[in-house]
Amino acid sequence: MSATDKPARENEFQVAHHFDSADVQFDAGRMGIWLFLVTEILLFGGLFCAFAVFRSWYYADFVEAHHHLNRVMGAVNTVVLICSSLTMALAVRSAQMSKTKLTSLLIGVTLALSCVFLTIKFFEYSHKFHEGLLPGRYFTAEGFHGHHAGIFFAVYFMMTGIHGIHILIGMGLMIWLLRRNMRGEFSSRYYAPVEGFGLYWHLVDLVWIYLFPLLYLIG
Amino acid sequence: MDAHANPAAHGKDHVPHVLPLSTYLKTWGALLVLTAVTVGASYVNFGAANLWIALLIASVKAATVALVFMHLYYDHKFHAVIFGVSLVFLAIFIIFTMFDTQTRGRADGIERERPADIKAPFAGTQAEQKLKEQRGALKIPGESAPTP
Repeated sequence: MSATDKPARENEFQVAHHFDSADVQFDAGRMGIWLFLVTEILLFGGLFCAFAVFRSWYYADFVEAHHHLNRVMGAVNTVVLICSSLTMALAVRSAQMSKTKLTSLLIGVTLALSCVFLTIKFFEYSHKFHEGLLPGRYFTAEGFHGHHAGIFFAVYFMMTGIHGIHILIGMGLMIWLLRRNMRGEFSSRYYAPVEGFGLYWHLVDLVWIYLFPLLYLIG
Repeated sequence: MDAHANPAAHGKDHVPHVLPLSTYLKTWGALLVLTAVTVGASYVNFGAANLWIALLIASVKAATVALVFMHLYYDHKFHAVIFGVSLVFLAIFIIFTMFDTQTRGRADGIERERPADIKAPFAGTQAEQKLKEQRGALKIPGESAPTP
């Protein structure tokens, strides 16, 4: 990297010939990401719908089962994800200002925070496996008054599991972004992949913002 | 003049709309405070309102993330429309599903009291009476009147 910290390939970006201007190309890409996020909302929406239906049917069982989730771990993970959302938003901002090194650092911090999130999730999951707090007919934990705690854990594992897969995919994308950024591809002229990924990452955070109170706090 | 005349350099460069650092930090602070509020509220039992209080705080947090971190407040309004419409459809999805799942079995009592005869489903109802009156008034051909 040069002393001025200018992206090495800043001038390589060219507006694709079917777009009128760089602004139009940016907006088209951003709109595409938003449409993708809509499909993500509907994916998680189905799971939230399942949660709503089963919670209304087996309310007492859900309340009983949710006390077996660790709300401290859930709260810490919420804070971790909010911090990672901040660092990602700042990474987009530094890419907008062509600060390549700072962008790499901030994406790296976001990546590290996502590792922290999954590590905490791993300890939560292994505790549940150990206790037999498992989905549906695999539920073997003793001492429950209701008979439908297995349904709560089916919903819990499906929702947090698909959310966790989104975190994993996000980590892969961050490594890809880091590689491209270190090659100096992103600058104030072109940072669309950083911004698009940022939108995705905020949506993953947004889903967790609902998952945490619904599963851990009120059941 | 024409933007397509020189494809290598058509149009102006994209100029990013950079928000001040303080905006991001304030948003982050607000999200942390709201997280503390929702955790704190969960230790107080508001009864049936627990769910709605948790959802309200979560929605305020979600709106904050969407408006600032996701730039919806500063972006083209069309992106906010896309996002908003998806939430409308999500609400239709969940509410209409629950119209079904919340009302299942509600007709069981009525059906037990007055089981329907599958061969004469309208027997003993107002509908049957009306049908008879109509038949009498119309004199449907081929049914009662003999052909000359």
